[in-house]
Amino acid sequence: MKANLVMTKELVVCHPDQTVLEVMNILREKTFHVLPVVDENNKLLGAVNMLGMLSKLVPEYIVNGDLKSISYAPDMGLLGKHYKEIVTHKVVDIMDKKPTVVGENESLLSVTASLIAFDRFEYAFVTNKQNVLLGIIAASDVVRSLAQFDPEVLFDA
Amino acid sequence: MHETTSHVIFGIDPTWMAVSILLIVYGVIMAEKFNRAVLSLLGAGLMILCGVITQQQAVAGIDFNTIGLLTGMMVIVSISQKTGMFQYVAIKAAKAVKGDPWGILVMLSVVTAVFSAFLDNVTTVLLIAPVTLLITDALGIKPYPFLFAQILASNIGGTATLIGDPPNIMIGSAAGLSFYEFLVNLAPITPFIFLVTILAIWVMFGRGLHATDDAKALVMEFNENDAIQDVPLLKKSLFVLAAVIGGFTVAHSFHLEPASIAMFGAALLLLLQTWGQDTHAKDHAYEGIMAEVEWTTIFFFVGLFIIVTGVEHTGVIEMLAHKTLELTGGDFNATAGAILWVSAIASALIDNIPFVATMIPLIESMAPTFGGADALVPFWWALALGACLGGNGSLIGASANLIVAGFAQRAGHPIYFLQFMKHAFLLMLMSIAIAHAYLYLRYLS
Repeated sequence: MKANLVMTKELVVCHPDQTVLEVMNILREKTFHVLPVVDENNKLLGAVNMLGMLSKLVPEYIVNGDLKSISYAPDMGLLGKHYKEIVTHKVVDIMDKKPTVVGENESLLSVTASLIAFDRFEYAFVTNKQNVLLGIIAASDVVRSLAQFDPEVLFDA
Repeated sequence: MHETTSHVIFGIDPTWMAVSILLIVYGVIMAEKFNRAVLSLLGAGLMILCGVITQQQAVAGIDFNTIGLLTGMMVIVSISQKTGMFQYVAIKAAKAVKGDPWGILVMLSVVTAVFSAFLDNVTTVLLIAPVTLLITDALGIKPYPFLFAQILASNIGGTATLIGDPPNIMIGSAAGLSFYEFLVNLAPITPFIFLVTILAIWVMFGRGLHATDDAKALVMEFNENDAIQDVPLLKKSLFVLAAVIGGFTVAHSFHLEPASIAMFGAALLLLLQTWGQDTHAKDHAYEGIMAEVEWTTIFFFVGLFIIVTGVEHTGVIEMLAHKTLELTGGDFNATAGAILWVSAIASALIDNIPFVATMIPLIESMAPTFGGADALVPFWWALALGACLGGNGSLIGASANLIVAGFAQRAGHPIYFLQFMKHAFLLMLMSIAIAHAYLYLRYLS
């Protein structure tokens, strides 16, 4: 099965010069995990997700465990302070510039392999040769396709 | 000296062999491409394999007092740091000044200096620097001035006691100087050097440190009580730390070496740490602590002692000592001054541990010129002051400096080599000038 048959085509997208706050609000309201970032010609530039934003709130020395314990630090104060600053930035500053991308004619086996290999939050963007965004395939889409392919054999076992 | 010649393979003169091994090992250590423990052990092995010294002579050359003291303190510190007591003190100090940035800089520097006097400097900055980054983050201020002050404070504090800095451990052990003697002779001058350094830092950075009221309030939200991890272990650790430091102070009167005190304290704390737990948990905890001991440092010392013993054996170091004395005209004051300044400049640029390891036999062989080993005591203070304070001269001057720079990098505020040197080198020279004046007034005339 080809990627363009499995992908979700109705996409909410954002643009690089939108603020992080606007994008975070969209993600929260729609309970999406990820939002593609495209230019005016719908070419894929990157992707924004919650975890990518959160990673900008915590400095590397805390993430990599230089401090054995930081329970004494005012968590909401420090996180809030950085959040207030990061939401004023543009999306382009925090986006993942190398999201997992697959071609529209790739097979589902190939798409699944890409999802696993690049391991970025269970989704891959489908683009054509000109890098124009066509759709998105999530790990759950792969499973759904399998269910439609042969529900009795594969899912009632 | 002469009987070793026959063991030398390929007919190479042992003097050249020993000096070449030393220079190559030190050179490659400076290049920082290979692990320094591996290099020093390779060099030590070559000294024996090439017949410069025998294995017995090599083992006799290892200063087990230094090794035991370092290992014992590493065990004690790695257990007690689990309690969070050091973070507790750092946060308490920052809050005591109501979140004022300059006050925090001074307080954290004082805490760093005091801890560095009793723990090794690397451990101290490993504990304090991340807390400093958290606090400056809350303050919304660039951490550089704070970390800069902390590096200087750790090296100044480390100068004050026998156990503060590895060069002091080596000097104390080789010259038979006690913890108490270090306290009486070096501790009085270090607060003064610290004070002058802090004043200079105020001139450089102090007026630029401002924080909003919100930022100060955020610092006050740090909860030092949450830093304490394990109250029973805290009590045991404090008890053993106090006993060990007390033990160091009186050890000399009981003819005890500091290594015996430190190792006994370590064994006692290892026992107390898991008191009442089952055998499996005890073994697990014990193995965890043993894994945390910096064996790299320990084996680096072992190899280094053997390399220096090899070179010492060939008589080269004695010859260098005579050359040095020719240069200073055999004048006591001039020699003390030369030891101080050369140690300081050398320690700013190369690892002060191999430098001091080489200087110790060099100074020892000056004894006949100045009327016996007792007359050399001011030289030991000059070496200690020069080697410890010299570490402030550049970012590579001491391991603690590089540790702090590593944290700064990971916090997104890198400390650059030249930027640091521009600020620190002059302060280092100033501290050496103060040390020189102190030596002159107290020991020379």
